[in-house]
Amino acid sequence: MIAPAERLSIRLTVNGRVIEREVAARRSLADFLREDLGLTGTHVGCEHGVCGACTVLVDGESARSCLLFAVQLDGATVTTIEGLTPPEGLSPLQQAFCAAHAMQCGFCTPGMIVVSTELLQMNPSPSPEAIREALGGNLCMCTGYVNIVRAVAQAAAALRGGAGETS
Amino acid sequence: MKPVLFRYARPQNLADAVGLLAAADHDVKILAGGQSLVPMLNLRLVRPAVLIDLNGVPGLDHITPGPSGGLSIGALVRHAALAGSAAVIERAPLLAEAARHIGHPAIRHRGTLGGSLAHADPAAELPAALIAFGAELVLHGPRGARSIRAPEFFRGLMTTALAPDEILIEIHVPPQGPGWGFAEVVRRAGDFALAGVVALLGRPRGSSGDCESARLVGFGVGDRPVRFAGAEEILTSPGGDTSAGVARAASAAAEACDPPGDVHASADYRRHLAAVLSEKAVRQALTRLDAARPA
Amino acid sequence: MSEPAGGARWVGTALPLKEDVRLVAGRGRYIDDLGQSGQLHAAFLRSPHAHARIVSVDTRAAAALPGVAAVLTGAEAARLSGPIRPLIPTTAVVLDYCLAVDRVRYVGEPLAAVAAVDRATAEDALEQIRVEYDPLPAVVDPEEALQPGAPLLYPELGTNVVWHDTLTYGDIDGAMARAHGVLRERFTIQRYASTPLETFGAIAAYDPGLDAFEFWTNDQRPGLTISILAASLGVPQSRIRLSCPDIGGGFGNKRRPAYLLICALLARAAGRPVKWIEDRIENLTALMHACNGVMDVELAYKADGTLLALAVRDVADEGKNLVTPSQHNLIKLGNIANGYRIPAIRYEAWSVLTTKCPSGANRGIGKPFMCFAIERAMALLARRLGLDPAELRLRNYVTADEMPYTTPPGAQYDSGDYPATLRRALECFDYAGWRAEQIRARREGRLLGIGIATSIEPAGTNLASYELLTGRRTVSGSAEAAMVRMEPDGHVRVAVGDPSSGQGYETVIAQIVADELGLTPGVVTVARGFDSATTPWLYLSGNYSNKFSVTDVGAIVGAARRVADKLRRLAAHRMEIDPGDLELRDGAVVVRGVPDRRVAFADLARTAYADVLGLPPGEEPGLEARHVHQNPLAAPVDAHRRVRSQLVFSNAAHCCLVEVHPRTGVVTLLKYLVAHDCGREMNPLIVEGMVHGSTVHGIGAALLEEFRYDRQGQLLTSTFLDYLKPTATDVPAIEVERLEHPSPFTPLGAKGVGEGGAIPGPAAVANAVEDALAPFGVTIRSLPITPERVWRWMRPGATSVASAGGR
Repeated sequence: MIAPAERLSIRLTVNGRVIEREVAARRSLADFLREDLGLTGTHVGCEHGVCGACTVLVDGESARSCLLFAVQLDGATVTTIEGLTPPEGLSPLQQAFCAAHAMQCGFCTPGMIVVSTELLQMNPSPSPEAIREALGGNLCMCTGYVNIVRAVAQAAAALRGGAGETS
Repeated sequence: MKPVLFRYARPQNLADAVGLLAAADHDVKILAGGQSLVPMLNLRLVRPAVLIDLNGVPGLDHITPGPSGGLSIGALVRHAALAGSAAVIERAPLLAEAARHIGHPAIRHRGTLGGSLAHADPAAELPAALIAFGAELVLHGPRGARSIRAPEFFRGLMTTALAPDEILIEIHVPPQGPGWGFAEVVRRAGDFALAGVVALLGRPRGSSGDCESARLVGFGVGDRPVRFAGAEEILTSPGGDTSAGVARAASAAAEACDPPGDVHASADYRRHLAAVLSEKAVRQALTRLDAARPA
Repeated sequence: MSEPAGGARWVGTALPLKEDVRLVAGRGRYIDDLGQSGQLHAAFLRSPHAHARIVSVDTRAAAALPGVAAVLTGAEAARLSGPIRPLIPTTAVVLDYCLAVDRVRYVGEPLAAVAAVDRATAEDALEQIRVEYDPLPAVVDPEEALQPGAPLLYPELGTNVVWHDTLTYGDIDGAMARAHGVLRERFTIQRYASTPLETFGAIAAYDPGLDAFEFWTNDQRPGLTISILAASLGVPQSRIRLSCPDIGGGFGNKRRPAYLLICALLARAAGRPVKWIEDRIENLTALMHACNGVMDVELAYKADGTLLALAVRDVADEGKNLVTPSQHNLIKLGNIANGYRIPAIRYEAWSVLTTKCPSGANRGIGKPFMCFAIERAMALLARRLGLDPAELRLRNYVTADEMPYTTPPGAQYDSGDYPATLRRALECFDYAGWRAEQIRARREGRLLGIGIATSIEPAGTNLASYELLTGRRTVSGSAEAAMVRMEPDGHVRVAVGDPSSGQGYETVIAQIVADELGLTPGVVTVARGFDSATTPWLYLSGNYSNKFSVTDVGAIVGAARRVADKLRRLAAHRMEIDPGDLELRDGAVVVRGVPDRRVAFADLARTAYADVLGLPPGEEPGLEARHVHQNPLAAPVDAHRRVRSQLVFSNAAHCCLVEVHPRTGVVTLLKYLVAHDCGREMNPLIVEGMVHGSTVHGIGAALLEEFRYDRQGQLLTSTFLDYLKPTATDVPAIEVERLEHPSPFTPLGAKGVGEGGAIPGPAAVANAVEDALAPFGVTIRSLPITPERVWRWMRPGATSVASAGGR
């Protein structure tokens, strides 16, 4: 039986790269990503799991990185906004966000991209209601959500390959 | 806000988990989904010396249909899995519906059934559903496993029957009929309910007469889920399923609770909601019962 | 206004934003993404009491904790730094330092600070600090706080009233006496805040060799902050450098020089840079709340609903704020008449201290409450007179042909057609159709309600209005500075003393300069944020009051035109032609009508920077210009206490449709439409986004947001679990209609749009809910409108009651 420890070694895959580090048990995944790995695209807005700014994909599913400790991620795969951005240019979803001006200050945007990515993987033709529900756990203080919903609908249409309706 | 210093362990089997729990002589907390615990850790409202991460213990995340129509569900089953499981939707749709109302997808990917039950927030949906089901909870400790019925598990405000060295590992849901209802009032979708009611009604097979069974449980209206026994009696009495009967049952439900008041709602308003939502949940259950009757 | 050199090709287009490209990829650089080598992390010890004497502070155990590099108490801060000067002049002068010294006056007030290797260790150290408090009585209700005998935050002031004055314009008493009737009503507003998603933060570094400080921060008012830092730290402003990176939303909230001071003192003591990032609890508890308050309104009218007079008694709860007190009051006065013609106005104001979070600038600063009171009063007056609420407003609007129109307190409405805005809103909303639907729905037992609210929206603040507070002028005017530099390669760099916090400056400024210089926005780079070493700036610089269109634009255009003029002069010299025959097009100076005769900018730039002997005689090397624009509308207070405290005015009309659940009181917003007029829209994408976002702020205040305190001054809503912000499922798609009446008084005819819907939103929603509850005879006097409050209003026997809001 392993004794509980204040620092542990972890090995995880982040945006396709294998990372091995020793970390304090109490270090959140959010802080680990931002400070230890320099992946500052994931943002921290509340640290109590409500605002969604810190949302990343863990083993392919959205999760709040402020509510995970890095030590829990040993053996896991994490994808952040950096991993959802192609090496050149922007993804179709990101392009739709730009075309629709689906951000203003940009602080909520990485989290919005993560949950939108997940939504479109599960539901390639989401209704405006379904989009709003999927985004319902991510706070935005700037846009009033209108353009974000439009962007996701437009991205869905673009990914389906057809001409889409705007919401 | 950052947590206090703690030591962390991720046992790879149940025996080790129980052993770690027993060995810790300070404050120790079990980490399952973390969606309720970690905010409290971050706020330093909870200050354990040791955090035991259960997520490495195999065998706790199964959903196993029982031979006679019930379900055996591992404590680490995520809310998202409950909500999306064909077996749960078929055999205990109220449970899937309750799970769908918890938070948002990111919360549901991590939050667990066992975690929600052990945390025992009085406004949570799942404890009320389990009480309505008459579910049994299996606890595992150094002295082995024991079963406890759902109503006995919830002892008070965020207090359960779990001993300090016990882990909740499994939940058994008996076979359920088709007459279920779920109603809650929230400030925003995904929030904890201001108040809610789950209803399970049964009629003798094939009949359209009086209900023979009724379970009506409120959440957010007490320091733990509240079984509206008086309302249930009304519903299973002659005429209990008429409009008048349902209205009387709803009033009885309101009278049966002593809700808390806080920044979100007063006791009076919660009591009022207990009545309104009882009626709504009961009507849903009756509608489903009617729909399930063979033509 | 003279035309830009390149014609208006880019200004007015819905150009997708440059900054969005990096933001959507997570490549923004916010304060928490920055770091200095060797930096420490700070945490602040905050008072658990609303009001208490600090008897003793023992930091020895904290300082001894491994990983702790410096500890600072209030007493030490008072030795090492000067008091924080007020940013708004006040007669209530006290000694307040960056940390509480002998007294704490709100829950969350910082009284000690620690710098350690990381934030978690710093928080561990805070728990080792032993403080002995002697609790004092809290005072949380502003009307109680202004009574004699109330617990005093500053006994040396003898009062909690920071400002009390009555300003009278016109014959109020006569108008009241002559009136057909006077509507009297009392309204309250709750505490709430815009809560940008990124919290406040700063990094401070001290260079002992230079005795100089450097700051990185998302503070929105660098001009003010630098002056306070210099005064308190005892160094000249020239030895302070402050820069701002990307800012994750501001709305006026991000301004607290005290926090930067604490970091500076820790950095100097520790000999290493110190970084502090506010966490959400700190933000909700202690950064700033919009004033809550109570307003008594008297509206005198003729039989046909024509307004004769408005008298307002306004008690604003400032919390513990002696840095920017009375700001909300002044702004309310400047916008008091809303869009209406009201010949006589009286405004009696109190700014009162209470043992709560300091007040501060929020989206709308006071105007949401002012608009709530006026628009609610108009709704009630319409009800009283049996008039349609739209008709009553149409009878009283200042009309387009009266523009520019000066209100009794001196606000000048520059342009706009308020009746047209309302009519457009009603038509596009299908007001008549929904009224019919409402009647049908009522028969089915469904409670639909339609609410209308209209507002003006000012831009720019003339600081001369502060003279109303003290009788003396110490600051005044409205100005901004900008720099435009054409680089040797012909590309252009622009910097302006106003750090963007999501308003798209990098794009819209590029559009403006592109038009001025005949370029494309793609070759114009706007400096991100702010850097006091390189950005031109004034005390008046910063991000506030929708000032972009009234001052920033003037500075940018002015600087760009100087560069344009110089390019023409250089080309004229080169081509031996009169500069008047030259125009700037497609990156070159071209002879008008002879497109082959052209000199590329890069060519001229090379001469200007490198081959300087080729310059015309008397011409300076380089291609750079600075310009400071002072908006000419800013003028001093006159002998009758009238002042243009704000400069130009947009306007909007909001229509919303709600449904109220008859048994639970839950309010659902079904439809929301805004018709707005912000003058010339420089980038419609940016403008529409502002309308959406600001309107949702208004909806949040109307239905969800409230900072609630108990009688002991404890904040009961200090996390996002309890302080509720609107999510995507709470608001409908905001529909937007636009009108465009350019301002004659701004360089490009643009007006403000940043505060927008935050102003009339609360009134629109309240009017809709009240309309839905018409069968119950409810009068809504306070916010937020929660399901419980609605339920109580609907109960049989409930007379219209004011809710318990406003504490």
